Amino acid sequence: MAGAFVATSLQIEKLVEDAMRKLSSLLIALGTSIGLMATAPASLAQDKTIKIGGLLPISGPGAYFGAQDKQGVELALEELNKTGVNGYRFAIKYEDSACGPLPATQAARRLIDQYKPDVIIGEECSDATLAIMPTVAQAKIPLVNAGSSSIKVTEPGNPWTFRIMPNEVMQGIDIAIHAYNDLNARTAVLLYENTNAGIGNAKVFNETFTKLGGKIVADIGFGREVNDFTAIATRVAGLGKVDVIPTYTLEGQGLKITQALAQAGVVKGGDGPAIQLGTIWLPFGFEQKAGKSSRGYIRIVQFDPTDEREIVRNFVRNFKAMFSSDPTHLNAHAYDQIMLIADVVKRGATDAQSIRDTLAATKDFVGVTGSVEFDKTHQNIRKDTIHYMETRPDLSWNALKWN
Amino acid sequence: MTAAIVIQQAINGVVLGSLYVLVALGLTLIYGVLVQINFAHADFVTIGAFAAYFFMHLAGGSYPAGIAVALVTGGALGWLINRSIFAPLRRKGGELPPLIATIGVSVMLQNAMLAWFGPVPYAFETPYSQQVFRVAGTFITMQSIMIIAVSTTSIALLYVFMRCTFLGKALRAVSQDYETTGLMGINPNHLVLLTFVLASALAGMGGAMLAPVLVLTPFAGATVIVKAFAIVIIGGFGNVEGTILAGLLVGLIESYTTQFLAPGLIDIVVFGLLLLMLAFRPTGLISERREENV
Repeated sequence: MAGAFVATSLQIEKLVEDAMRKLSSLLIALGTSIGLMATAPASLAQDKTIKIGGLLPISGPGAYFGAQDKQGVELALEELNKTGVNGYRFAIKYEDSACGPLPATQAARRLIDQYKPDVIIGEECSDATLAIMPTVAQAKIPLVNAGSSSIKVTEPGNPWTFRIMPNEVMQGIDIAIHAYNDLNARTAVLLYENTNAGIGNAKVFNETFTKLGGKIVADIGFGREVNDFTAIATRVAGLGKVDVIPTYTLEGQGLKITQALAQAGVVKGGDGPAIQLGTIWLPFGFEQKAGKSSRGYIRIVQFDPTDEREIVRNFVRNFKAMFSSDPTHLNAHAYDQIMLIADVVKRGATDAQSIRDTLAATKDFVGVTGSVEFDKTHQNIRKDTIHYMETRPDLSWNALKWN
Repeated sequence: MTAAIVIQQAINGVVLGSLYVLVALGLTLIYGVLVQINFAHADFVTIGAFAAYFFMHLAGGSYPAGIAVALVTGGALGWLINRSIFAPLRRKGGELPPLIATIGVSVMLQNAMLAWFGPVPYAFETPYSQQVFRVAGTFITMQSIMIIAVSTTSIALLYVFMRCTFLGKALRAVSQDYETTGLMGINPNHLVLLTFVLASALAGMGGAMLAPVLVLTPFAGATVIVKAFAIVIIGGFGNVEGTILAGLLVGLIESYTTQFLAPGLIDIVVFGLLLLMLAFRPTGLISERREENV
């Protein structure tokens, strides 16, 4: 009896053990299924999103860059995320890089550590871009730049940095040649902010113009904290007749320089003889702010809102519908940066490495600012992004067909 | 180099110096009475500039009326912030909390302006900027004449107020001995409030005068405030006459450095002078009046 009882209790014990084992297997299976059900859509969604990091100046004197860039990004993302590209959607996270090396580096580290983007766009200011390049390269994330003109951004070449706009050398050589040949300029005064981009742009103009036979009468650099440009305009006025004044500075100081030069009677806007020249530093709408002082100003713009190409017409229409204003070249640059990333995804890129590789192979991307073809340094070599505009007396643009 | 250029740079220097004086006077007033540095002063300048801008562009007001609006806005803001933030902290005692609070107020105001007005530079045009008078190879705009006139008038009125009125004398008494003034039947808290309102009103008006010259963004005041601090130190902390002299001196130094050296060297020259003053004449340009302060 006792033996039977022992046998029975052993059987019961075994039965209970089996039941428990089955139950725990069931629970594990159930838990795993629930876990999979819970995580699968999230990981699937995460896998199907291209994460873009935006390192843009949102504060400080270059904050207007960031504000306008964000509008271009917003429009591009709205258009792209309606349908997605190859099953991918696009998301962006911004960090304020403040147009300066230190805040930009800190912002880049925050963005990379916390957001882990597949690709980054930015910065606008050359000093900031140069500062973030090593951090971004170390993280092996491609950086698509549209606003920094310093040659150092792409020379001698960085495997992770791509620039879609012409660099300071391309712009500087081009504008110096046109100044000498088309404007018959023989004397020039250089005005520039003391930054990598300012100094670099002025240096290229100086070298090209001098080589052609022109003379640089004065070479005047200044800090970003300078507000009153009357003293500089007075100095320029004291130099006698000058043909052209290439100016490299941000919009705020650009406004004050143009007005001071006009007040001093140096430039055409103040009924003087000199023509002020500029590159892509100034946004669309500069003339309206500077007023009649900007008459006769000739500058490179990288986006012509009067361009008749369909892609531009659509962009202008959609931008106006979204923001109730005309797009600037900054809006257009940011839009093109995102559209280029989408184009790369369309060509099969799915992560940072493949985005980098596919970007490097870009030959014929067509954007609203022009086309893109990268050379071995990842510099866009297409010159159809350089458009020259002259400010008419009524402050509208006269497109100069120089390129 | 012609005489006209030398004279022109002198005119430029006086105009710029007058602007600096307008900003620095408020700083020196507050320091003179409270022995406190107000880091938010720059933002009162910016708010004054925006007040004048929006008064002209949204309400269609004239520029002179815009200056008055900026003056009142600056004064009202000074009253509000002193009443709500600085005064309670001063009552709790200690020098550091009110000082740190001025930094906090500065950051708060800058970011509030960034949120409301955006980062894109505003073009503050007045009809007077376009009126240029040219005489014997020199030029001056009507705006510059107004800057000199408004600065001179403000300085004169402030001087008369401080020297000839009971309140002015009381303010000077507070600057000399805060506690004893209270024992003499004068409420020093009211005088501190008056100082803040006066200094902030001057900052607001300075903003309206600076706006056509400045690159008008939410950070505009910050670009001149460092120079204004240097002027206050060169002039002698809390010394109104020294501040006026130092402001004009810095304006002239900037103009002539631009002409004869390079604009990129302006800060080296100005702050080099500041270091020399601190080393050899730490009481400022007008040291004999240092004990009176305001």
